[in-house]
Amino acid sequence: MTESVPLTWEEVARVYGRKIYNFAYRLTGNRDDAADLVQEVLLRVRKGLDSYQPGSFEGWLWRITRNAFLDDVRRRNRRPTAPLPEEVDRWDLASSPAADIEYSRISIGDDVQKALLELPFEFREAVVLCDIVGLSYEEIARAVAVPVGTVRSRIHRGRKLLRESLI
Amino acid sequence: MTHAGELISAYLDGELGRAEIDQLLDHLDGCGRCAAEMQDVQRVRSAVRSLPLLELPPGLIPEADAEVIPLHRNKGFLVGAAAAVVALVIAVAAIVTPSATPVSLEELNSRYAARASLDPAFGPAKVVVPYLSDFLE
Repeated sequence: MTESVPLTWEEVARVYGRKIYNFAYRLTGNRDDAADLVQEVLLRVRKGLDSYQPGSFEGWLWRITRNAFLDDVRRRNRRPTAPLPEEVDRWDLASSPAADIEYSRISIGDDVQKALLELPFEFREAVVLCDIVGLSYEEIARAVAVPVGTVRSRIHRGRKLLRESLI
Repeated sequence: MTHAGELISAYLDGELGRAEIDQLLDHLDGCGRCAAEMQDVQRVRSAVRSLPLLELPPGLIPEADAEVIPLHRNKGFLVGAAAAVVALVIAVAAIVTPSATPVSLEELNSRYAARASLDPAFGPAKVVVPYLSDFLE
């Protein structure tokens, strides 16, 4: 599989920083934890970039991200917490003409975020990597170190559970 | 096929081969339960995908805050190296004035190495260090 590989840490930070932040936020529902994770992941990428062998960069990066996340959860010895309401976004949007429409969109988003946090970790992780990060099943399989069939099953079961809590 | 199950998600994600797609579509034609599940899963999938993508907190990754992203690595590299040389010229000029505390070349080099190891935007040692020693001699 040929793919272009970001060569420098700065490029990784620029291209993937926001994705890593959103991955962590959707997994934890907590902006501070997400910010900490971004910094930890970039530190690990910086250390590992020299020994990185060209191949699936996405698989490599998201494996690092996932491991950093799990290490962090173990260290804190707690499960991810429920999200705070997205106050800042609401204030920003309140001044725009489309505020009402945006309020309702974000309130639906809050429900979805809450439902995500109720999923068992393996399902939540698979759904977030697929629908938020945009990885293929094969890339998710590499990142999570499970067969593609397992990824397929986790994503589908995750979505069915989401449906139950959203209806 | 008993029921379509996870083929539904894989289909929506574009992860099925031709044969599996045909098999799924045939099944959906005659199975109301799976057709309804397809609709539900599609709705959930869209809801998750339309969650807003959050901006990075400002200052979290200075590299990601840059407005202009150089298209070519070398360009950014040269700008970084040039900035480092300018910074060093200023630093060395300050050091060689009579009132400055004497600093050995070794110490300057080690300071430089420390900065370079912490700050990736700082220029490469092989370019700047010979320049520094020339200046002091």
